[in-house]
Amino acid sequence: MPTVLEPVTKPVVRKKPTSDDDLAPTFYVICWNDPVNLMVYVTHVFMKIFGWNKQKAEKHMLEVHEKGKSVLVREGAEKAEFYVHQLQNYKLQATMEPAE
Amino acid sequence: MKLVKWQDGVWQYHLAQNEADILVGLLKKFPFTKIDPVKISKTDKHPKAREREKLLNESLAEHRKELKKLALDLIRPDKLKLEEKGLLMTLSVEERETMLQVLNDIRVGSWRALGEPADLHSNIPHSSPKDLAYRSLMDLAGYFECSLLEPGD
Repeated sequence: MPTVLEPVTKPVVRKKPTSDDDLAPTFYVICWNDPVNLMVYVTHVFMKIFGWNKQKAEKHMLEVHEKGKSVLVREGAEKAEFYVHQLQNYKLQATMEPAE
Repeated sequence: MKLVKWQDGVWQYHLAQNEADILVGLLKKFPFTKIDPVKISKTDKHPKAREREKLLNESLAEHRKELKKLALDLIRPDKLKLEEKGLLMTLSVEERETMLQVLNDIRVGSWRALGEPADLHSNIPHSSPKDLAYRSLMDLAGYFECSLLEPGD
């Protein structure tokens, strides 16, 4: 008696899609301490550029003041660059450092 | 200088005549900092970092030009209106930001001219008249920055 074989379908294993963003390097935007920029000014600039509330902006400002620097955000190259431009426009000492 | 009204993105400050004279004098000094190239990173050795640094310095030079135009606009005569006891200055949100950046340029520029002292509160021994002038400019710019900021934020 002939046997009828059912077609076997193998499941297709798809790789998790990876976008350019997943592979792109990220950067820490860091603000460094200096003795000349006023605390109230630095707080204002953080609020203005990052849209933070006063509490968060003051926390980072105090970190800059007491520890010499504060990591403000971690972003892709383009956005990190944008933030550094903005902070430097206000004469704050800001840099972007590779996160890895 | 005191904030008298803050409504719908408009800031109004009252100034005594001597304060207004000093503020206008300060704004006229912009730009005060020298154009020194700035670093975009302390650790990044990738060739792209050099490109980014070039772009940053070009962008800062462009911003400085733009700020110069805006600073001139801030000292036009109708910005300050005579009141019974002094003057009234009305600023939009953007104008307030411009004024802050201009004043801070003068503050930072004076500090650099003084040799970037780490301690701003101690007296500078054997100060030359030029150093005292820089010191005054730095303090005055700081005074107006605080006056612009403290009541509103």
